[in-house]
Amino acid sequence: MTQVLPRDCWRRVGTSAALALIALSLGSPILAADEEARPLYNLKEAPESIRDLLAIQKALQRSLPRTRKATVSIDMGGGSGSGVIVSKEGIVLTAAHVSGGVGKKLTVIMEDGTKHKATSLGLVAETDAAMLKIEEEGSYPYVEIDKEDTALMGDWVFALGHSGGFNKERGVGVRIGRMVRWADQTIQTDCNLIGGDSGGPLFDLKGRLIGIHSRVGASLEQNMHVPIRVFLRHWEKMEASEFIGEGPFAKKPVAFLGVGTEDREEGGVEVKVVGKETAAEEAGVKVGDAILEIDGKEVESKEEFSAGIKELKPGTKVKLKILRDDEEIEIEVELGEK
Amino acid sequence: MMKRSKSKLSWARSRLVVCGLALTCAPLAQGQQLEAHLRLSGSTTREAFEPLRAILQQCSAVVYDGWKSISFGVVITSDGYLVTKASEIEDAKELNVRVDKTHFKNVRVVATTVEWDVALLKVEAKDLVTVEWDTDGEPDHGTWVVANGSTSRTRRRVRVGIISANAREVGGGKAPVVLGITLDTNKKAGTLSISGVEEDSGAADAGLEEGDLILSANEQEIGKIEDLQEVLSGKEPGDHVKLRVKRGDEEMEVEVELRTREKIFEDERSRNDAMSGRYSKRRSNFKRILQHDIALSERSAGGPLLNLDGKCVGMNIARVNRCETFAIPAGEMPEIIEDLMPKTNDP
Repeated sequence: MTQVLPRDCWRRVGTSAALALIALSLGSPILAADEEARPLYNLKEAPESIRDLLAIQKALQRSLPRTRKATVSIDMGGGSGSGVIVSKEGIVLTAAHVSGGVGKKLTVIMEDGTKHKATSLGLVAETDAAMLKIEEEGSYPYVEIDKEDTALMGDWVFALGHSGGFNKERGVGVRIGRMVRWADQTIQTDCNLIGGDSGGPLFDLKGRLIGIHSRVGASLEQNMHVPIRVFLRHWEKMEASEFIGEGPFAKKPVAFLGVGTEDREEGGVEVKVVGKETAAEEAGVKVGDAILEIDGKEVESKEEFSAGIKELKPGTKVKLKILRDDEEIEIEVELGEK
Repeated sequence: MMKRSKSKLSWARSRLVVCGLALTCAPLAQGQQLEAHLRLSGSTTREAFEPLRAILQQCSAVVYDGWKSISFGVVITSDGYLVTKASEIEDAKELNVRVDKTHFKNVRVVATTVEWDVALLKVEAKDLVTVEWDTDGEPDHGTWVVANGSTSRTRRRVRVGIISANAREVGGGKAPVVLGITLDTNKKAGTLSISGVEEDSGAADAGLEEGDLILSANEQEIGKIEDLQEVLSGKEPGDHVKLRVKRGDEEMEVEVELRTREKIFEDERSRNDAMSGRYSKRRSNFKRILQHDIALSERSAGGPLLNLDGKCVGMNIARVNRCETFAIPAGEMPEIIEDLMPKTNDP
């Protein structure tokens, strides 16, 4: 029996050695114990008979009711993705390009059509991982996570998702496949994904969550998922609504004051333009104002001034010391978002 | 694109050596792939489905136009009646069929139904092996299903997948035949007027114009879109509808030939279609379908969909997109076939 072992051969081998010791002392066959850990359909290189196929079908069908209930469509307003509930309290895992940022308001739709309001928590921008929380308190259906990270290349898996958006008559779509490529931050399977599946769950046949759908290539075989280990690694920071890393899947919001300035010979910068409906206008900054200090720090040039603003988060309050009509005043501005 | 942690792997290798175990296969480095023959539709995986391939070998048909295979078919009687996907064969000039290894040059299109996009074919044969329709109700999500994949002249191959969504109606009951007009509804006045006439449609040929007010169709008064849909329901391409319209102060009556919807109105290509490869021309407006995830090509619809018992649970009717294929459920087939079969007066 050959098994394709992608990464932690050492772990399996190590386990077997330990089991052998126990097995010997108990006098029971080692194979039985090993099979229990990994189902036979994943130990075989490929199914060999109708019986093997039935074993796969049985395992899949046993896992479907539970996993379907916890798989949701996510309405981003102007687009839709998928997600999966992973705790009774309503923590939802999805893709970063679905949640779109931190603190975003989204709608989560269950397979039966029930809608819940949700807010996006943290995300990992470089790997396409994100977390949401359903706002209403409740007891939600949820799935088990493969915390031990047991999925291996060649394993039989299934993908769920609301392909092309929510469709109550159709329900959640399920697709079968195998793990065909594995890397630390990406899983590739031959479960065919399409727009709307993004953020949906990838399961092993026991119904344990092993990944989240992210993207596809041109060929049908290129279906990419974020491995669950990426979520586990960043779990606490995501729960704390952190925007983690930089990358293609989410853009960090940039703070925005809303003024156009020019350097002043006497120091500071002069406000030449105040944008409509910007933080600056709201706080009462006016054309002709000279900004001398920001949070007690002297302003030296317009480049330095705008770079300093961009480093801050939207919503940050800054104090500006302004010279207006030969009088120094202080204005507090809550920065907006670009 | 993919990060590799080499240190962990080399450590893993050294550990293996320490354990002194012989490896049946070299450990795969991150980034290596599962070989193609082991994947879902790979040759080794397909071998497990051999008993079902053997059934498809006998009870599915390959439909050709000259040398080119254009569709598959389902053998429904031992004396040579087959069903296939109608819209894929309608332009065929030299229709011929192969069942198992036998080639049939003379193929008669007995009847078609635009409602289900099914055509009934007849070849001169006896002792063909027919499909065994499944009568246990529609298969559940996750049930293995098997369909015809690419084929050679002598050997059928399988493609495999699972039932992947609820059985249902698709397309919201739109009539599969059209006049070729778009409409403006005036709810207050309860009237319907033509806002556009499609090129190459029956409406264009009949001389209908934008602005024409529709008064009646086949003697039935028309006030809203639903009235018109009712007149069109059950009609086949080539049928005519008598329209009475008002243009300015003038009333006139025209005969409009009905044509198939997908020939007149082009589907808007969505972003999801763009990532789907080739899909069937007719892929919507079916009263009831099973959905599965077998990656068929647009030319491999029309054949049987088998479960692991070898029973036929449906007839593949459309490749829809990258992850969806539709089949007509077996339960719908007896009625469809009965409607298509020639009526005889024999006792």
